[in-house]
Amino acid sequence: MIDIVGLIASNLIWILAIVIGGTLISISVHFIPVGGAPAAMAQATGIGTGTVMLAAGAGIAGIIAAGAVMAVNQNIWVVIGAAAVGAAVMLAATMIVATWIYAYGVGVMPVSAKVKYDPITKYRQDLYVSQGTEGHGIPTVAYVSASIGGLLGGLGAGLAYYALMKVSTLPVTNLNLVAVVSTFTIGFFFINSVIPSYNIVGTIEGFHDPKFKKWPKAAIASFLASIPLGILAVVAVASLASVGGL
Amino acid sequence: MTEKKMIPPNTLLAFGVVGGLLGVYLAYFLAPMNPIFVFFGALGAVCASVWGADVVRRVASYGLGTGVPSIGMLALGMGIIAVLFGLSLGLGPAGPLVAFITSCVIGAIIGIISKKVVGMTIPIMVSATTEIAGAGALLILGLSIVIAGSLDFGVVVTEVITTGFIMMIYIAGGMAMLHPHNSNLGPDETQDRLLALSAEKAGIAVVLSGFASVAGMGAMAVTMLIGLFIWYTFWGKYYGFVKRDAYKVIDVGMLPTEEEMQ
Amino acid sequence: MEPLISMGVLALIGAAATIAGASEDLESDVGSQSNANSQVQLAPQMGYVHRIYNKAIAGEPVSNALMCTIGATGALVLIKHFGFSPLFALVIGSLIAAMVHGSYSVTAIMGREASQARFKQPIYLDLIRSHTPVIMAFAFLTTFSVMIVSYLMVYSLMHPFPFVLLCFLWGVVVGSVGSATGDVHLGAERQFQATEFGAGLNASQSGNIVRKAESGLRNGIDNLWFCSKFGGPMTGVSFGMVVFLGTWILVVFDPAEGNLEGWLSNILGLVIVIVLGIWNWHIEKETREKYGPYKEDKGEEVSA
Repeated sequence: MIDIVGLIASNLIWILAIVIGGTLISISVHFIPVGGAPAAMAQATGIGTGTVMLAAGAGIAGIIAAGAVMAVNQNIWVVIGAAAVGAAVMLAATMIVATWIYAYGVGVMPVSAKVKYDPITKYRQDLYVSQGTEGHGIPTVAYVSASIGGLLGGLGAGLAYYALMKVSTLPVTNLNLVAVVSTFTIGFFFINSVIPSYNIVGTIEGFHDPKFKKWPKAAIASFLASIPLGILAVVAVASLASVGGL
Repeated sequence: MTEKKMIPPNTLLAFGVVGGLLGVYLAYFLAPMNPIFVFFGALGAVCASVWGADVVRRVASYGLGTGVPSIGMLALGMGIIAVLFGLSLGLGPAGPLVAFITSCVIGAIIGIISKKVVGMTIPIMVSATTEIAGAGALLILGLSIVIAGSLDFGVVVTEVITTGFIMMIYIAGGMAMLHPHNSNLGPDETQDRLLALSAEKAGIAVVLSGFASVAGMGAMAVTMLIGLFIWYTFWGKYYGFVKRDAYKVIDVGMLPTEEEMQ
Repeated sequence: MEPLISMGVLALIGAAATIAGASEDLESDVGSQSNANSQVQLAPQMGYVHRIYNKAIAGEPVSNALMCTIGATGALVLIKHFGFSPLFALVIGSLIAAMVHGSYSVTAIMGREASQARFKQPIYLDLIRSHTPVIMAFAFLTTFSVMIVSYLMVYSLMHPFPFVLLCFLWGVVVGSVGSATGDVHLGAERQFQATEFGAGLNASQSGNIVRKAESGLRNGIDNLWFCSKFGGPMTGVSFGMVVFLGTWILVVFDPAEGNLEGWLSNILGLVIVIVLGIWNWHIEKETREKYGPYKEDKGEEVSA
């Protein structure tokens, strides 16, 4: 029988880090422009996937990068920076190709129907929205918003991964530790990207979308949800060292 | 829905909980005598999957707004965290029960947060997330004991987590709960067809878990055969239900004519 | 690992990822699994009964994660317990994944069309017989390519994650990427080819998918042929870029050599994001100039 309270007390800072990571993940989902099924028909602005799955795709690219870097370099800023950049690169590569398909395959320009002028390029938007649609493609403001979302999401996932790795006294190259921590991080990431998707309910274009103002609700929800999850994860990982043969 | 009598939710809950826990514990206590008995865990997993698929069906009919896969990923995510926690406490036979209860508690917390903080208006949200987290935990426990041969934390970590087979349990088990609703989407969805499909997909997950098992060739062969039997039986049932429910099942044909469409 | 060998492995991974992306998108085009499936699902409701393979397996990221993880499980068991060579194990693992995916596809189309009985949508068995092997073949390719990416990452580039886990992760990413890029070509272009080129889908056209082909009735394989000209390869390029660029920044500036290298690799990644952003803005500007507005600016009047 292990001393749960003692484990929690001695790893309080890592639990806090995991909770902050979860909150960041939740906030980042609101930045990513998701158009869902309509966007895949050039009927709505954004990337043509569901909220959870696109956020998961980006976060997972970040987790893979974090895992690769942490095995060789344990500086916290390098690790979470690599995770952030990994997620942002995944989104960037996806978006540029999506833009090629919209521009050359479908024949539409990137435009948003939620604002009259793009906040960043100041281009006029409403005249370029095709009839009967809610915008299409990925205008510059959506691209910038997605990059911020990718960076934040990767940051959160990387932070959770780093914190959980540091909880255990086993060396970071121990494959059992890496496997357990990465499994936890993925489950944790999925939970924290489903909660904001319940908040967004469908599609969002980025930080210029009126729906973006709802982000505090999801942030608080994820903060509260991540506390018990973080405690469970820390207890499980911390007790790995005391199990023989790992 | 047709006028056919539907299986009430509480019956399926009892089926899932009792079947799942019974399967896991039978495997837990009998496996040290002969590893072949891990197949009980697989049967428990099938019960849990059928229970979970019905919960998904009920909650998705209210309109989640975000897609059915998300709730499945949520459920299995909670299940994994709770199972690893429960087994890590080293409580021996109480471990699986603690894992199951922890998962239900986490599910309830997430459900309450979704309702109170995020403001979801689905009436059965809290009970749905609780049930589906519990089903996810039982699924993971059942298939883990098939692969690892026991639920000792060290063994589960080295044989299920470090190899990565936990992700196979996660996705194949999760899909056994998600896929039935998604693949029977439409106004003429029927519950028995959906549940038959869930059992069939769980059968596939059982075959794969049996293949990955380290509990010996006997356990591997027996579990895979049981999995194939479950898959085949319920595929037959499913196809029968499809022929019963569909407008027409024809070999080759043109689209229905204007007269037929009236 | 010696940097030049790392670059060679990386090039191989990039090529495998490109194939994975292309075959993933084409697999979803045959079965109309993509987000555009919502239109195929809607069509019978609006009276447009069709002969398109209506498969939807809980979304592409999850579906691809399923097939890649199952393939990896099969391969790992064969390598570890049965002592197979990795070459054979990866192929047989992919075969197992393709068969499971075939089972999921068949049950999906049957279930969906059975649940549309009231709209008089028939289930065409010949469609299932002709399309399912094609779907399985693409699933095989995707699984095999993703497994090559993961296997090389784990055993050559010494990534610490378990092999099966990494396959799951790349499966989710390839599904995400394919869903976001190639499916637009199917959904906005091929499925509504009867509408004029150069606009988004008008809401009034919902459900009115093209059901009649050049000669006879259109099915999933016709859609596959069209999308393989542009959408499929572009998705391949996209996923290839994700895998290659994401890993390249870690090989060029290896964080193992020190914190400065780690920071340089992060900055290089940011530079890539910015460069692609500038390219996106450039295309935005170019299309606005070339294609022109859809409406005229009537002074103060805001377009409806």
